[in-house]
Amino acid sequence: MAIVGITALVPPEIVYASGNIPVDINNFVPRSGVVPRDKLCAWTALWRDLTLMGRIKLDKLVVVAGGDCNNALVDGEKIELSGVDTHYFTYPFDGSAKIMRHEIDKLVEFLGGELDESVFNRVTELKSAATAVDSERVSMHINSQDAFEIMVSGSDLAGSLEDYRKMIDSVVKKRVDCDFRLALLGTPPIYDGFHEFLDSLGLHIVYDEMPYEFLRLRGDTVKSISESYADYSFARNITHRIKLLKSELKQRGVEGIIHFHQFACHHKLEDPILREALCAEGYPFITIEADLPSKTPQQTRLRIEAFKERLGDL
Amino acid sequence: MTLFGFDVGSRAAKCFNSDTGEVEIVDSHDWRSILPDGHEIISTGYFRKEVPNIFNLTEITAAIYGVSYLLDQEVDVILDIGGQDTKVIDTTTNEFRMNDRCSAGTGTFLEFIAGYLGLTLAEMGRLHFQAKCAAEINSTCSVFAHTEAISRLVEGHSKAEVVKGIHLAFARKIAQMMPPDSYTIALIGGTAKNPGVVDAFSNVLEAKIIVPENPQIVNAVGAVQYFMQKGL
Repeated sequence: MAIVGITALVPPEIVYASGNIPVDINNFVPRSGVVPRDKLCAWTALWRDLTLMGRIKLDKLVVVAGGDCNNALVDGEKIELSGVDTHYFTYPFDGSAKIMRHEIDKLVEFLGGELDESVFNRVTELKSAATAVDSERVSMHINSQDAFEIMVSGSDLAGSLEDYRKMIDSVVKKRVDCDFRLALLGTPPIYDGFHEFLDSLGLHIVYDEMPYEFLRLRGDTVKSISESYADYSFARNITHRIKLLKSELKQRGVEGIIHFHQFACHHKLEDPILREALCAEGYPFITIEADLPSKTPQQTRLRIEAFKERLGDL
Repeated sequence: MTLFGFDVGSRAAKCFNSDTGEVEIVDSHDWRSILPDGHEIISTGYFRKEVPNIFNLTEITAAIYGVSYLLDQEVDVILDIGGQDTKVIDTTTNEFRMNDRCSAGTGTFLEFIAGYLGLTLAEMGRLHFQAKCAAEINSTCSVFAHTEAISRLVEGHSKAEVVKGIHLAFARKIAQMMPPDSYTIALIGGTAKNPGVVDAFSNVLEAKIIVPENPQIVNAVGAVQYFMQKGL
């Protein structure tokens, strides 16, 4: 049983079914307290440095090298050069299930070649339970921070199926009051406690775009897993992603959008496209760009508070 | 009881007496020295929550209410150039944009260049109009623009021409943040007191630039106006 680091979304059900443990190495970044040596994106630079420093212990590494995170490739190679057994995983831009199946087959081979497919159902059951938490959050019974913690942990299911079950079971349900229902699109915030800050302002996140993808994609066979992950919206073309966004925003009764992106991330270039497409649907839109991890900076707090005031004046 | 608008930004603190119209402005670090005793304060600016207040609001909302109160005409966009950031507020859509984690297009950028040239900001404004031409400055990164300014001086351009080039580069940087169809623009914040900057905006933006009589106190005035108009 090996500890397998993943740099972005890699089907965790495949890693568990191969008898290994997935660990999303991004989860070490927000509270790392480390300043990267050289960087474009702080996420990739920090998981790179933390791994090279020995603060993240890995037996193997799977780098998402195509689709989603474009900065991960070279930082992943630096880890490979340090001696970590590394594999490069790529999402199909066109949503081809055939290409996705090929990528998953290569991943299975890297992970040892054997799969216990009974694990798929256990993972699906947990993802369903976490999706129920998301629904409770949408219906105002769980706060944004608690729901976000569970959903974002869906990338590796907390590194233990048992622990993830306990995490879901321990969530506190309590009626949430808020002033506005918002969506958080883009990269999950690198600022520790960002959702908590929003909760404190009466801004309730009812849609966390990327963490929701961690739960939405699933399957009970390699074939259905391939078909599902081929639809990973962050790796697909922007038109496909916008179609999904419009549907989710409408269903969830969203009143405003925060687009969160990271300095030097290619997703930043999508900002004007998303802004134009979603403003045209009537959604007030604010963009927040982050760089190094920290508590939410004052300048960002000011923007969010001003956004709330503007929503109130509409 | 008199209402006071109190705006403490990154560089200056402004106190506005809504009864008399009197204004006090000091360095932001000294904001306590102009804090009115025993009066009701509506605060805004980065330090708004540090200031004892009966209500506080962000400078973005304060700017909208301040401009609306002080100008006798509607504008499409409010451009608030502060020490630490620049805000572009589209009054037609209620949206706003701010520069991100970079001093380019902020008052700090001009201060940095003024410091290198050994000038005050007021001198920058005067020199702008003495230039026979504008030195070509393409970069808006403070550090790179500094390097370019040195190169232009070495090439024989006068300080005045470099200053004018800097003002134009500054305006071009901010122009990138402007929404389309910005025909009338209210320019506020301390930087708007620099006539060279106003001239540069007039050249770069195909729009009517309107500067309130005292552009630095608009947000302090707007804070009081918001409080009064909302009946808080």
